[in-house]
Amino acid sequence: MKKSYLLIVLSFLLAFVLFSMSGMAQEPIKIGAVNPLGDITGRQSTNAMELAVAEINEAGGLLGRPVELIVVDSEFRPEKGAAAIEKLATVDEVDFFVGGMSSGVHLAQIPSLKKYKKVTVWAGAASHKAEEAIGADADWYFHLHPWDYQQGASYGVGWNAIVKENPEIDIARVFLAYEEGAFGSDSYKAYAAMAEQASEGKGAFAGVMEEFKGASFKSAAMGGGDYRAMLQQAKEYNPDLFIWAGYDADAIPMLGQAREIGFEPNLYVGAPPGWPANFGRNPLSDKVILYGMWAPALNEVSDVAKHFWDAYVEMHDEEPATYFAPLGYTNIKFLAKGIEKAGTLEKEAVISALKSTKYVSPLGSTLEISPSNIIQNQGFTRQKILQYQDGKQHVIWPFEFATTEIEYPFSW
Amino acid sequence: MSLTKKQYIMLFLLALIILIIALWQPHALIYGIQRGSLYALIALPLALVLGILGVLNLAHGEFLTVGLYLSYMLYERFNLDPLLSIIPVVIILSLIGAGIYLLTIKHVLKDGHLNQLLLTFGVSLILIEIINIIWTSRPRNVFTSYSYSSMSIGNFSFGTYEFLYFFMAIAVLILLQLFLKKTRLGQATFAVGQNPRGAKIVGINVSYVYLFVFTLAVAILGLVGAVMLPRTAIFPAVGSPFSLKSFALAAMAGLGNMNGILIAGIGLGIGEAVIKSIPGAGGWADIVFFGVLIAVIIARSYREGN
Repeated sequence: MKKSYLLIVLSFLLAFVLFSMSGMAQEPIKIGAVNPLGDITGRQSTNAMELAVAEINEAGGLLGRPVELIVVDSEFRPEKGAAAIEKLATVDEVDFFVGGMSSGVHLAQIPSLKKYKKVTVWAGAASHKAEEAIGADADWYFHLHPWDYQQGASYGVGWNAIVKENPEIDIARVFLAYEEGAFGSDSYKAYAAMAEQASEGKGAFAGVMEEFKGASFKSAAMGGGDYRAMLQQAKEYNPDLFIWAGYDADAIPMLGQAREIGFEPNLYVGAPPGWPANFGRNPLSDKVILYGMWAPALNEVSDVAKHFWDAYVEMHDEEPATYFAPLGYTNIKFLAKGIEKAGTLEKEAVISALKSTKYVSPLGSTLEISPSNIIQNQGFTRQKILQYQDGKQHVIWPFEFATTEIEYPFSW
Repeated sequence: MSLTKKQYIMLFLLALIILIIALWQPHALIYGIQRGSLYALIALPLALVLGILGVLNLAHGEFLTVGLYLSYMLYERFNLDPLLSIIPVVIILSLIGAGIYLLTIKHVLKDGHLNQLLLTFGVSLILIEIINIIWTSRPRNVFTSYSYSSMSIGNFSFGTYEFLYFFMAIAVLILLQLFLKKTRLGQATFAVGQNPRGAKIVGINVSYVYLFVFTLAVAILGLVGAVMLPRTAIFPAVGSPFSLKSFALAAMAGLGNMNGILIAGIGLGIGEAVIKSIPGAGGWADIVFFGVLIAVIIARSYREGN
């Protein structure tokens, strides 16, 4: 009787231990991501996040638990992006939020993020309006992409350095072509402000920019695509540096139309959020300068970038084509490093650990947190200046990550 | 054809305006003729479908998009020059157009305009999503050595490729009119457009005429797509804005007035280019475009009312 009683108790104990263990093993750390999956930026960012999660799980997970990535499509629509945060918080009950892109979408998500106050590591959204909406109190919010004003300032720093290094380069006269929408108009306002500062000897462009002019155009993405009237104005202005702020659909037609009207500035710079497929294959792309956070050529100077590239290609059978791919990878790896450092999922500990985490990213630079104008936890603060040479994107500034020297002047 | 005194005055005023623009903004005149011809070229098949079938095809621009992507696919897969891809693109797009007509549009011809609008809107969304799934939303381009060729007069350089739009618009217009007036099928089409019931009574196969006209319109868009490709970034929504401009031109020219579409297209193209060439006024181009359209429609209805 005693024996059978003991056996029953032991069986219950064993069942309880096994049940607890299996429960622990199946209880993953949930990371909720919101990305626009129909767009290459969101799709490749998600692919890279999946790669990072797969690597973490292969290495034994985090804090002995597997990591689960739950992705919701924002479709680049603010209402969908906000609903995605609600779904991740209430239905999936995720532990952390990551993502995403588009300032417009992010602005709609911020009230929901503030409601749940979960630790959030946000990769994209550059508008200072998003920073204002987040506010100074949100210690749980980490933002990786440089804010718009930081980008503008970093270009100024970059051009100053390039001009100093290459005295033959002059950017005294700058012409900005900007698309008529919010993105282009904000760029114009930022450049106009920087030009005004430069005229007073202040700001990042002080000493290099003397005159500034802008003209708007209707982006092909918005039903436009005829840039000739704007380019004619640019040609008459005869700038040293011509820069356009529009979308990827504008890149090649604008170049072609510039060539046919005989517009040949010494520096031709594009600042769209992404570039069209195979832009480098187009002969018109040679010597075009662009701004970005990453270039495939970084593989030549960074082991982390090389590892990311190879692993991404192996897992997804395609090459990363946008900097949102290494940024998405960085997003997960940085969060994981912070969690590991904290040793717990407890919110305050994770926040504290993330604040002091340094991560050598595949974007070339090391990610570390510092305050920006408003928020407490800002990641990257600089963009890079890149140039297409022989079909490949190369980094020309910052010099520590440079994969080649600038080719100057631009010519057809 | 003899012109009335009023028409002579109108022609004289038009010539005077063009002369002034040519002296003041020569590039605006050239860009306007080129762009306006493209608008007219795209609007012609829409006007054909609207005039004969009475269908407002909201998927018009999306058929153009499909034509662009087909030409792009042939370029990528078989390295076929976009201008050489005209024939296969026209054939494939004709089949697609005929298929979509038989599966969908044929069944709402007798319904009200609302049903037709909803149906063609649905077709346009499906076409956009299919393109998005196959090619993603990322813009694509092709490079051809001739697409950005230019010529110079003194200091003034301008592209020559887009004059192809002008010549093609005239060619399509002439061929369509020859078809409608000189061929039996064309005369049958004209009769169906005038009075479908009467045409049926005299033995014309109205269903066949409708199928033919819709297929022909889509085929023309295939032709335009292949010609546009060398100078256009393509993405799933690239054709959508052209639907709106085509409707505008068809409305401005008046139902069945195909010559009017070419004149309206070039007129609005020049107006748009002039506005764009004024520093700081580029954003007003669309407002002027649709403002002129509204003014013309109101003026016409006022005149007809009188």
